[in-house]
Amino acid sequence: MLPATAAALAVLAALLAWPVPALLARARWPRRDPLVALVCWQAIGLAGGLSIIGALLVHGLAPWGHSLPEAAWSVLTGHPAEAPVRGDHWVTLTLAGVLATELVGVLLLSWLRTARTRRRHRELLELVVQPASLPDARLLEHPAPVAFCIPGARPLLVLSSGMVAELDDAQLAAVVAHERAHLREHHHLYLLPFVAWEAALPVLPAAARAHVAVRTLVEMRADDVALASLPGPAPRRTLAQAIVVAAGGAGGAGVPSGALAVTGSAVGVRVVRLIEPPSPLPTWARAAALLSAGLLLLVPTALLLLPAL
Amino acid sequence: MASLGDLERAVMDRLWSAEGPLAAAELRDGLADRGLALTTVHTVLSRLEQKGFVVHDDARPRRFRARGTREDHAAELMHEVLGQAGDRQAVLARFVGGVDPDEARLLRELLAAAGPDDAPR
Repeated sequence: MLPATAAALAVLAALLAWPVPALLARARWPRRDPLVALVCWQAIGLAGGLSIIGALLVHGLAPWGHSLPEAAWSVLTGHPAEAPVRGDHWVTLTLAGVLATELVGVLLLSWLRTARTRRRHRELLELVVQPASLPDARLLEHPAPVAFCIPGARPLLVLSSGMVAELDDAQLAAVVAHERAHLREHHHLYLLPFVAWEAALPVLPAAARAHVAVRTLVEMRADDVALASLPGPAPRRTLAQAIVVAAGGAGGAGVPSGALAVTGSAVGVRVVRLIEPPSPLPTWARAAALLSAGLLLLVPTALLLLPAL
Repeated sequence: MASLGDLERAVMDRLWSAEGPLAAAELRDGLADRGLALTTVHTVLSRLEQKGFVVHDDARPRRFRARGTREDHAAELMHEVLGQAGDRQAVLARFVGGVDPDEARLLRELLAAAGPDDAPR
Protein backbone atom coordinates (compact mmCIF):
# COMPACT_ATOMS: atom_id res chain seq x y z
CA MET A 1 0.00 0.00 0.00
CA LEU A 2 0.89 3.66 -0.04
CA PRO A 3 3.47 3.42 -2.81
CA ALA A 4 1.88 6.18 -4.87
CA THR A 5 1.70 8.50 -1.88
CA ALA A 6 5.31 7.86 -0.91
CA ALA A 7 6.45 8.35 -4.50
CA ALA A 8 4.48 11.58 -4.86
CA LEU A 9 5.97 12.94 -1.65
CA ALA A 10 9.45 11.93 -2.74
CA VAL A 11 9.02 13.71 -6.07
CA LEU A 12 7.75 16.81 -4.27
CA ALA A 13 10.72 16.65 -1.89
CA ALA A 14 13.14 16.39 -4.80
CA LEU A 15 11.52 19.36 -6.55
CA LEU A 16 11.72 21.44 -3.37
CA ALA A 17 15.30 20.40 -2.69
CA TRP A 18 16.66 21.79 -5.90
CA PRO A 19 14.73 23.14 -8.92
CA VAL A 20 12.11 25.18 -7.07
CA PRO A 21 14.55 27.09 -4.82
CA ALA A 22 16.89 27.56 -7.77
CA LEU A 23 14.08 29.08 -9.84
CA LEU A 24 12.83 31.34 -7.05
CA ALA A 25 16.36 32.48 -6.21
CA ARG A 26 16.91 33.47 -9.84
CA ALA A 27 13.48 35.03 -10.40
CA ARG A 28 13.26 38.79 -10.70
CA TRP A 29 9.77 39.28 -9.28
CA PRO A 30 10.73 38.84 -5.58
CA ARG A 31 12.32 42.29 -5.50
CA ARG A 32 8.96 43.72 -6.61
CA ASP A 33 7.25 42.25 -3.58
CA PRO A 34 9.71 40.97 -0.94
CA LEU A 35 6.98 40.10 1.55
CA VAL A 36 5.17 37.71 -0.80
CA ALA A 37 8.50 36.17 -1.76
CA LEU A 38 9.34 35.67 1.92
CA VAL A 39 6.06 33.81 2.40
CA CYS A 40 6.94 31.60 -0.59
CA TRP A 41 10.36 30.79 0.88
CA GLN A 42 8.83 29.82 4.21
CA ALA A 43 6.37 27.58 2.40
CA ILE A 44 9.17 25.94 0.40
CA GLY A 45 11.16 25.26 3.55
CA LEU A 46 8.23 23.83 5.47
CA ALA A 47 6.82 21.81 2.58
CA GLY A 48 10.28 20.47 1.73
CA GLY A 49 10.86 19.17 5.24
CA LEU A 50 7.33 17.83 5.47
CA SER A 51 7.50 15.94 2.18
CA ILE A 52 10.91 14.30 2.64
CA ILE A 53 10.15 13.15 6.17
CA GLY A 54 6.63 12.24 5.08
CA ALA A 55 7.86 10.16 2.14
CA LEU A 56 10.17 8.17 4.41
CA LEU A 57 7.48 7.69 7.05
CA VAL A 58 4.82 6.65 4.57
CA HIS A 59 7.08 4.04 3.04
CA GLY A 60 8.33 2.79 6.38
CA LEU A 61 4.86 2.48 7.91
CA ALA A 62 3.31 0.90 4.80
CA PRO A 63 2.98 -2.59 6.35
CA TRP A 64 0.84 -1.24 9.20
CA GLY A 65 -2.08 0.39 7.40
CA HIS A 66 -3.65 2.17 4.46
CA SER A 67 -3.04 5.74 5.55
CA LEU A 68 -0.42 7.40 7.67
CA PRO A 69 -2.77 8.18 10.60
CA GLU A 70 -4.13 4.63 10.49
CA ALA A 71 -0.67 3.05 10.29
CA ALA A 72 0.71 5.27 13.03
CA TRP A 73 -2.25 4.37 15.26
CA SER A 74 -1.66 0.67 14.65
CA VAL A 75 1.97 1.00 15.64
CA LEU A 76 1.17 3.04 18.73
CA THR A 77 -1.52 0.63 19.92
CA GLY A 78 0.76 -2.34 19.31
CA HIS A 79 -1.20 -3.95 16.48
CA PRO A 80 0.79 -6.39 14.39
CA ALA A 81 1.68 -5.38 10.84
CA GLU A 82 -0.73 -6.53 8.13
CA ALA A 83 2.06 -7.19 5.66
CA PRO A 84 5.58 -8.50 6.21
CA VAL A 85 7.96 -5.79 7.45
CA ARG A 86 11.09 -5.79 5.30
CA GLY A 87 14.48 -4.28 5.90
CA ASP A 88 13.81 -1.25 3.70
CA HIS A 89 10.86 -0.34 5.92
CA TRP A 90 13.11 -0.20 8.95
CA VAL A 91 15.74 1.78 7.06
CA THR A 92 13.28 4.46 5.90
CA LEU A 93 11.71 4.67 9.36
CA THR A 94 15.13 5.18 10.91
CA LEU A 95 16.03 7.79 8.30
CA ALA A 96 12.75 9.63 8.96
CA GLY A 97 13.51 9.67 12.67
CA VAL A 98 17.10 10.84 12.20
CA LEU A 99 16.14 13.56 9.74
CA ALA A 100 13.23 14.86 11.82
CA THR A 101 15.39 14.89 14.94
CA GLU A 102 18.20 16.65 13.14
CA LEU A 103 16.03 19.36 11.56
CA VAL A 104 14.09 20.12 14.74
CA GLY A 105 17.15 19.70 16.96
CA VAL A 106 19.33 22.01 14.93
CA LEU A 107 16.55 24.58 14.83
CA LEU A 108 16.20 24.52 18.62
CA LEU A 109 19.93 24.54 19.18
CA SER A 110 20.44 27.41 16.76
CA TRP A 111 17.66 29.35 18.46
CA LEU A 112 19.14 28.82 21.92
CA ARG A 113 22.65 29.69 20.83
CA THR A 114 21.54 32.81 19.00
CA ALA A 115 19.43 33.95 21.94
CA ARG A 116 22.38 33.47 24.29
CA THR A 117 24.77 35.39 22.06
CA ARG A 118 22.23 38.19 21.69
CA ARG A 119 21.78 38.46 25.45
CA ARG A 120 25.52 38.57 26.04
CA HIS A 121 26.12 41.15 23.33
CA ARG A 122 23.26 43.29 24.60
CA GLU A 123 24.53 43.19 28.18
CA LEU A 124 28.00 44.25 27.11
CA LEU A 125 26.78 46.91 24.72
CA GLU A 126 24.45 48.43 27.29
CA LEU A 127 27.47 49.21 29.46
CA VAL A 128 29.09 51.23 26.72
CA VAL A 129 26.33 52.89 24.71
CA GLN A 130 24.87 56.28 25.48
CA PRO A 131 21.48 57.80 24.64
CA ALA A 132 21.26 59.06 21.06
CA SER A 133 19.33 62.01 19.74
CA LEU A 134 16.68 59.70 18.28
CA PRO A 135 14.31 57.98 20.68
CA ASP A 136 15.07 54.30 21.43
CA ALA A 137 18.36 54.44 19.54
CA ARG A 138 21.70 54.19 21.37
CA LEU A 139 25.00 55.72 20.45
CA LEU A 140 28.22 53.69 20.30
CA GLU A 141 31.43 55.70 20.22
CA HIS A 142 33.17 54.51 17.05
CA PRO A 143 34.36 56.29 13.90
CA ALA A 144 33.09 53.70 11.38
CA PRO A 145 29.55 54.32 10.09
CA VAL A 146 27.66 51.33 11.44
CA ALA A 147 24.07 50.70 12.48
CA PHE A 148 22.51 47.51 13.72
CA CYS A 149 19.81 46.18 15.96
CA ILE A 150 19.75 43.19 18.27
CA PRO A 151 16.27 41.67 18.23
CA GLY A 152 14.62 40.08 21.22
CA ALA A 153 12.26 40.85 24.05
CA ARG A 154 14.34 43.93 24.87
CA PRO A 155 15.64 45.03 21.48
CA LEU A 156 18.64 47.30 21.17
CA LEU A 157 19.11 49.70 18.25
CA VAL A 158 22.67 50.95 17.96
CA LEU A 159 24.13 53.76 15.84
CA SER A 160 27.86 54.44 15.78
CA SER A 161 29.04 57.99 16.28
CA GLY A 162 30.63 57.68 12.82
CA MET A 163 27.21 57.02 11.33
CA VAL A 164 25.70 60.01 13.12
CA ALA A 165 28.58 62.20 11.94
CA GLU A 166 28.36 61.23 8.28
CA LEU A 167 24.61 61.32 7.75
CA ASP A 168 22.18 64.20 7.87
CA ASP A 169 19.03 64.02 9.98
CA ALA A 170 16.80 62.68 7.21
CA GLN A 171 19.28 59.93 6.30
CA LEU A 172 19.70 58.99 9.94
CA ALA A 173 15.93 58.78 10.31
CA ALA A 174 15.90 56.45 7.30
CA VAL A 175 18.50 54.17 8.89
CA VAL A 176 16.58 54.03 12.16
CA ALA A 177 13.30 53.39 10.32
CA HIS A 178 14.93 50.49 8.47
CA GLU A 179 16.22 48.91 11.68
CA ARG A 180 12.90 49.49 13.45
CA ALA A 181 11.17 47.66 10.60
CA HIS A 182 13.39 44.62 11.25
CA LEU A 183 12.42 44.70 14.91
CA ARG A 184 8.71 45.38 14.44
CA GLU A 185 8.24 42.64 11.85
CA HIS A 186 10.47 40.15 13.70
CA HIS A 187 12.61 39.48 10.65
CA HIS A 188 15.03 37.40 12.72
CA LEU A 189 12.30 34.76 12.98
CA TYR A 190 12.00 34.52 9.18
CA LEU A 191 15.74 33.96 9.00
CA LEU A 192 16.09 31.52 11.86
CA PRO A 193 15.02 28.30 10.05
CA PHE A 194 17.19 29.08 7.05
CA VAL A 195 20.25 29.80 9.17
CA ALA A 196 19.66 26.57 11.08
CA TRP A 197 19.01 24.37 8.06
CA GLU A 198 21.98 25.66 6.16
CA ALA A 199 24.04 24.47 9.12
CA ALA A 200 22.15 21.17 9.26
CA LEU A 201 22.30 20.41 5.53
CA PRO A 202 25.62 21.71 4.21
CA VAL A 203 25.39 19.28 1.27
CA LEU A 204 22.14 20.79 0.02
CA PRO A 205 22.91 23.79 -2.19
CA ALA A 206 19.29 24.91 -1.90
CA ALA A 207 19.75 25.52 1.83
CA ALA A 208 22.53 28.04 1.27
CA ARG A 209 20.70 29.60 -1.67
CA ALA A 210 17.52 29.98 0.36
CA HIS A 211 19.41 31.56 3.23
CA VAL A 212 21.01 34.18 0.97
CA ALA A 213 17.71 34.94 -0.77
CA VAL A 214 15.75 35.31 2.47
CA ARG A 215 18.46 37.53 3.93
CA THR A 216 18.30 39.86 0.92
CA LEU A 217 14.50 39.89 0.88
CA VAL A 218 14.34 40.79 4.56
CA GLU A 219 16.57 43.80 3.88
CA MET A 220 14.40 44.86 0.94
CA ARG A 221 11.28 44.49 3.04
CA ALA A 222 12.82 46.66 5.78
CA ASP A 223 13.69 49.26 3.12
CA ASP A 224 10.08 49.25 1.91
CA VAL A 225 8.65 49.64 5.41
CA ALA A 226 11.15 52.41 6.16
CA LEU A 227 10.19 54.30 2.98
CA ALA A 228 6.54 54.33 3.99
CA SER A 229 7.37 56.18 7.21
CA LEU A 230 9.83 58.73 5.83
CA PRO A 231 8.48 62.24 5.36
CA GLY A 232 11.06 63.92 3.05
CA PRO A 233 10.52 64.82 -0.64
CA ALA A 234 12.66 61.95 -1.97
CA PRO A 235 12.75 59.21 0.67
CA ARG A 236 14.09 56.61 -1.79
CA ARG A 237 17.11 58.73 -2.52
CA THR A 238 17.64 59.55 1.16
CA LEU A 239 17.71 55.87 2.08
CA ALA A 240 19.96 55.00 -0.89
CA GLN A 241 22.41 57.70 0.19
CA ALA A 242 22.49 56.32 3.71
CA ILE A 243 23.19 52.83 2.38
CA VAL A 244 26.01 54.05 0.15
CA VAL A 245 27.64 56.01 2.98
CA ALA A 246 27.44 53.01 5.31
CA ALA A 247 28.77 50.71 2.60
CA GLY A 248 31.67 53.04 1.82
CA GLY A 249 32.88 53.24 5.40
CA ALA A 250 32.14 49.78 6.70
CA GLY A 251 35.41 48.28 5.52
CA GLY A 252 37.64 50.80 7.23
CA ALA A 253 38.54 51.60 10.83
CA GLY A 254 38.94 48.01 11.93
CA VAL A 255 35.31 46.97 11.76
CA PRO A 256 34.72 43.41 10.57
CA SER A 257 33.06 43.48 7.21
CA GLY A 258 31.01 40.41 8.00
CA ALA A 259 29.91 37.88 5.44
CA LEU A 260 31.07 39.54 2.25
CA ALA A 261 29.72 37.00 -0.18
CA VAL A 262 26.27 37.24 1.29
CA THR A 263 25.80 40.93 1.79
CA GLY A 264 28.05 42.32 -0.91
CA SER A 265 25.79 41.92 -3.89
CA ALA A 266 22.65 42.38 -1.79
CA VAL A 267 23.68 45.96 -1.00
CA GLY A 268 23.98 46.75 -4.70
CA VAL A 269 20.58 45.24 -5.43
CA ARG A 270 19.05 47.33 -2.65
CA VAL A 271 20.52 50.57 -3.96
CA VAL A 272 19.45 49.87 -7.54
CA ARG A 273 15.99 48.97 -6.31
CA LEU A 274 15.73 52.28 -4.45
CA ILE A 275 16.97 54.42 -7.31
CA GLU A 276 14.98 52.67 -10.02
CA PRO A 277 11.99 51.19 -8.25
CA PRO A 278 10.51 48.18 -10.04
CA SER A 279 6.77 48.35 -10.61
CA PRO A 280 4.83 46.66 -7.82
CA LEU A 281 3.51 43.19 -8.44
CA PRO A 282 -0.03 43.25 -9.88
CA THR A 283 -2.76 41.94 -7.59
CA TRP A 284 -3.33 38.79 -9.62
CA ALA A 285 0.36 37.90 -9.46
CA ARG A 286 0.44 38.43 -5.70
CA ALA A 287 -2.63 36.25 -5.34
CA ALA A 288 -1.11 33.58 -7.56
CA ALA A 289 2.13 33.53 -5.59
CA LEU A 290 0.34 33.34 -2.25
CA LEU A 291 -1.98 30.65 -3.58
CA SER A 292 1.01 28.61 -4.76
CA ALA A 293 2.59 28.94 -1.33
CA GLY A 294 -0.64 27.74 0.27
CA LEU A 295 -0.93 24.81 -2.12
CA LEU A 296 2.69 23.91 -1.49
CA LEU A 297 1.83 23.38 2.15
CA LEU A 298 -1.53 21.80 1.50
CA VAL A 299 -0.34 19.12 -0.95
CA PRO A 300 2.09 17.26 1.33
CA THR A 301 -0.29 17.65 4.26
CA ALA A 302 -3.12 16.14 2.25
CA LEU A 303 -0.90 13.34 0.94
CA LEU A 304 0.09 12.50 4.49
CA LEU A 305 -3.38 12.53 6.02
CA LEU A 306 -5.64 11.15 3.30
CA PRO A 307 -5.94 7.41 2.65
CA ALA A 308 -3.35 6.09 0.24
CA LEU A 309 -3.90 5.97 -3.48
CA MET B 1 14.68 48.76 42.68
CA ALA B 2 17.23 49.24 39.94
CA SER B 3 18.36 46.18 38.01
CA LEU B 4 21.95 44.96 38.17
CA GLY B 5 22.35 46.15 34.58
CA ASP B 6 21.43 49.69 35.62
CA LEU B 7 23.85 49.56 38.53
CA GLU B 8 26.63 48.24 36.32
CA ARG B 9 26.08 51.13 33.96
CA ALA B 10 26.10 53.64 36.81
CA VAL B 11 29.32 52.19 38.27
CA MET B 12 31.04 52.22 34.87
CA ASP B 13 30.00 55.82 34.31
CA ARG B 14 31.56 56.69 37.69
CA LEU B 15 34.78 54.84 36.95
CA TRP B 16 35.10 56.35 33.51
CA SER B 17 34.67 59.87 34.82
CA ALA B 18 36.88 59.33 37.90
CA GLU B 19 40.41 60.76 38.03
CA GLY B 20 41.97 57.55 39.31
CA PRO B 21 41.07 54.19 40.84
CA LEU B 22 38.24 54.17 43.37
CA ALA B 23 37.57 51.98 46.40
CA ALA B 24 34.19 50.28 46.70
CA ALA B 25 33.23 52.55 49.60
CA GLU B 26 33.98 55.64 47.52
CA LEU B 27 31.80 54.26 44.74
CA ARG B 28 29.00 53.64 47.23
CA ASP B 29 29.28 57.20 48.52
CA GLY B 30 29.36 58.54 44.99
CA LEU B 31 26.14 56.69 44.24
CA ALA B 32 24.56 57.72 47.57
CA ASP B 33 21.30 58.69 45.86
CA ARG B 34 20.78 55.01 45.09
CA GLY B 35 21.22 53.95 48.73
CA LEU B 36 23.38 50.93 47.92
CA ALA B 37 24.85 48.52 50.42
CA LEU B 38 28.58 47.94 50.19
CA THR B 39 27.96 44.28 49.34
CA THR B 40 25.84 45.32 46.38
CA VAL B 41 28.65 47.52 45.10
CA HIS B 42 31.03 44.57 45.43
CA THR B 43 28.61 42.30 43.58
CA VAL B 44 28.36 44.79 40.76
CA LEU B 45 32.13 45.24 40.65
CA SER B 46 32.83 41.51 40.50
CA ARG B 47 30.30 41.13 37.67
CA LEU B 48 32.04 43.92 35.82
CA GLU B 49 35.40 42.25 36.44
CA GLN B 50 34.05 39.02 34.95
CA LYS B 51 32.91 40.92 31.90
CA GLY B 52 36.38 42.39 31.54
CA PHE B 53 35.37 45.99 32.15
CA VAL B 54 37.00 46.54 35.56
CA VAL B 55 40.35 45.64 37.13
CA HIS B 56 41.45 46.09 40.73
CA ASP B 57 44.82 46.66 42.40
CA ASP B 58 46.26 44.93 45.48
CA ALA B 59 46.06 47.91 47.81
CA ARG B 60 44.03 47.72 51.00
CA PRO B 61 41.19 48.37 50.56
CA ARG B 62 41.23 47.26 46.95
CA ARG B 63 40.72 50.02 44.44
CA PHE B 64 38.96 49.58 41.13
CA ARG B 65 39.37 51.23 37.76
CA ALA B 66 38.00 50.77 34.27
CA ARG B 67 40.19 48.47 32.17
CA GLY B 68 39.92 50.76 29.15
CA THR B 69 38.19 53.93 28.08
CA ARG B 70 34.62 53.84 26.86
CA GLU B 71 35.99 54.15 23.30
CA ASP B 72 38.34 51.17 23.81
CA HIS B 73 35.45 49.00 24.90
CA ALA B 74 33.25 50.29 22.10
CA ALA B 75 35.89 49.33 19.52
CA GLU B 76 36.35 45.89 21.08
CA LEU B 77 32.63 45.26 21.18
CA MET B 78 32.15 46.47 17.65
CA HIS B 79 34.62 43.81 16.60
CA GLU B 80 33.01 41.06 18.60
CA VAL B 81 29.39 41.91 17.86
CA LEU B 82 29.85 42.47 14.14
CA GLY B 83 32.18 39.50 13.70
CA GLN B 84 31.48 36.69 11.31
CA ALA B 85 29.26 34.81 13.75
CA GLY B 86 26.95 37.69 14.44
CA ASP B 87 26.39 38.39 10.79
CA ARG B 88 26.00 34.85 9.52
CA GLN B 89 23.85 33.55 12.33
CA ALA B 90 21.45 36.46 12.34
CA VAL B 91 22.30 37.42 15.92
CA LEU B 92 21.72 40.99 14.82
CA ALA B 93 20.39 42.85 11.81
CA ARG B 94 23.01 45.14 10.40
CA PHE B 95 21.96 48.09 8.26
CA VAL B 96 24.63 47.47 5.64
CA GLY B 97 27.09 44.63 5.81
CA GLY B 98 30.56 44.53 4.39
CA VAL B 99 31.15 45.73 0.87
CA ASP B 100 34.51 45.65 -0.84
CA PRO B 101 36.01 49.00 -1.92
CA ASP B 102 35.29 48.38 -5.61
CA GLU B 103 31.63 47.79 -5.01
CA ALA B 104 31.42 50.77 -2.66
CA ARG B 105 32.83 52.98 -5.44
CA LEU B 106 30.41 51.48 -7.92
CA LEU B 107 27.50 52.26 -5.64
CA ARG B 108 28.63 55.88 -5.23
CA GLU B 109 28.80 56.27 -9.00
CA LEU B 110 25.38 54.70 -9.36
CA LEU B 111 23.91 57.16 -6.91
CA ALA B 112 25.64 60.11 -8.58
CA ALA B 113 24.40 59.03 -12.00
CA ALA B 114 20.87 58.83 -10.67
CA GLY B 115 20.77 62.61 -10.56
CA PRO B 116 21.41 65.43 -8.14
CA ASP B 117 19.85 65.61 -4.71
CA ASP B 118 16.08 65.88 -4.59
CA ALA B 119 15.73 65.65 -8.34
CA PRO B 120 12.35 64.12 -9.07
CA ARG B 121 12.68 60.88 -10.92
